[in-house]
Amino acid sequence: MQALIETIAGGLMLGALYALFGLGLSLSLGVMKMINIAHGDLIVLGAYLCSTVMQLLGIGPFVSLLAVIPMMFVIGYGLQRVLLNRVVGRGALSPLLLTFGLSIVLQNILQEVYTADTRSLQAGEFALQGFDLGGVSIGLLPLVSTVISVAIFAGTSWLIGHSHLGRQARAVADDPGTARLVGVNDRNFFALVTGFVLAVIALASVMYGIRTPFSPTAGPERLLYSFEAVVLGGLGNVWGTFVGGLIIGVAQLLGAKVSSGLGPFFGHLVFLVALLARPQGLFGKGSR
Amino acid sequence: MNSLALIHQARPRKAGRAVVGVVLLAVLGALALAPWFTSFATQRLLVEIFTVFAMALAWNLLAGYGGLVVVGHQMFVGVGAYALFALSNRLGINPWIMLPLATAATALFALLSALPMFRLSGAHFAVGTWVLAEMLRILTLNNEWLGAGGGMPLEALASFDRWTRNAGVYWSALVTGVGALVIARLMLRGRLGLALMSVRDSEAAAAASGVSIQRAKLALWVIAGSITGLAGAVAYMNTLQVTPDATFSLNWSAAAIFIAVLGGIGTLEGPILGTILYFLLRESFSGYGSWYFIGLGSLAIATMVFAPGGAWSLVTRRWAIDPFGVRRDMPRR
Repeated sequence: MQALIETIAGGLMLGALYALFGLGLSLSLGVMKMINIAHGDLIVLGAYLCSTVMQLLGIGPFVSLLAVIPMMFVIGYGLQRVLLNRVVGRGALSPLLLTFGLSIVLQNILQEVYTADTRSLQAGEFALQGFDLGGVSIGLLPLVSTVISVAIFAGTSWLIGHSHLGRQARAVADDPGTARLVGVNDRNFFALVTGFVLAVIALASVMYGIRTPFSPTAGPERLLYSFEAVVLGGLGNVWGTFVGGLIIGVAQLLGAKVSSGLGPFFGHLVFLVALLARPQGLFGKGSR
Repeated sequence: MNSLALIHQARPRKAGRAVVGVVLLAVLGALALAPWFTSFATQRLLVEIFTVFAMALAWNLLAGYGGLVVVGHQMFVGVGAYALFALSNRLGINPWIMLPLATAATALFALLSALPMFRLSGAHFAVGTWVLAEMLRILTLNNEWLGAGGGMPLEALASFDRWTRNAGVYWSALVTGVGALVIARLMLRGRLGLALMSVRDSEAAAAASGVSIQRAKLALWVIAGSITGLAGAVAYMNTLQVTPDATFSLNWSAAAIFIAVLGGIGTLEGPILGTILYFLLRESFSGYGSWYFIGLGSLAIATMVFAPGGAWSLVTRRWAIDPFGVRRDMPRR
């Protein structure tokens, strides 16, 4: 029983990280109607940038974010401006294939720059600390990353609901043509959104890099987990993505208990079964 | 150029047709006789070219005619190859006899996989197929009966001498490549092709005219899946060993996608042109390792941005030709 609760708690905290992976995907899907296949590779890129900054300046992973978040924002803004804006609105196929090419390019650039060896971000003592909660041991790092994830979700949800940028996002998501008519500069706005998405990715990638060793080819799996969180939660619902992430995280850790090699498999399985039962996602609106 | 001129150029005269027929027969004849005058290495490369062509053609049929963009195309490759190896090894039967069975197994798998996959559409469908392919990879990786991580060799092929083995695999690949093209053309010129193209152009209008959209897409899914499964089985008769990580690798999908994008999505000529380009690039530059992939990825990105119709669209922009007679463009005034 104790072990089961511990597994579920671990799964929830892992899921909060997956949710944070998925948040960016959910935003670009909602606002720009595009799936970025290179999403996972950008997470890995963020982790590598952190490790470079940490090495150069001799600082810890969290401090390095002060440099990495702005860097990722600029990369995202530029990527959307130079490349992705050319295919947004051309249907599902063009952005998908373009970012598929981007994913291959990114993976191989990382391979060329950082070699194929795995790396991890060293957070020192902090990464190993934990405490006991009624007999269930909980790691400090997963807990902190969960709190950060919840905070980012709350912040994003507030931004979408209450800020001027959020109103623009909802307008463009509903009807890009009309939004443009009433004065939304969607080219620039899309670039800001992708910049924001990459800033969130930077945060997620630090937590990921401290938790798990990564290599240049680790991206596609991150993309799949993010995707599952988004689709499971349902479109147009930020908190849906959060719950979707939690479900995938718990399913993976429970699955790994059943058979150590089958963790991700059970995550995928839960995703497929949930899809059969509710194609629009758990919190999705009836029709797409 | 007006539309009448286009139509005239698109239909070669009878004499022209005869010449084309003779040339095609000569090329096919030469290809069929290749085992007698080419080296084993050449044959192995040709096997790769024919099988990858069939996979890319199938991918292109799905994406270009059915609107079904598949990122997890490798699942059909893996199912076909594993079905062949498992059937042939366990039953101890000549793998060539087993090829149709492996194809049938892939068709059955395609039919079943449509159940969850067809719940998704567009980009969700695309990534969903990738999830399914990953599940199959992990399952085979953890299945002792299928050889787990080490995979399994094709034992029954050991009893054939080298020449027979190579020639046999080569002919299978030739039949697969040419057969895929013939089936694709027949399909596109028939009822199914008409239904699919009407769905592609306007789903609402097609439904209103009585086209069963789901049934047309399902038929396409099973046909394209079977072609890919057969190609996968033949491709692995060439390498003699299946492993989960290689057989269910995203690289198969990536190759198919590159070929279709470079050549031209939604045409039959595209995959032919794309396969030639892809193998020319690979044979010339693959020695550069990651830089080769960076270049290939950048080329695909550039194609999507500057010539979304691929290389074939650059050809048709200049010359009005339609060698397969499957285009149904509306005449422009």
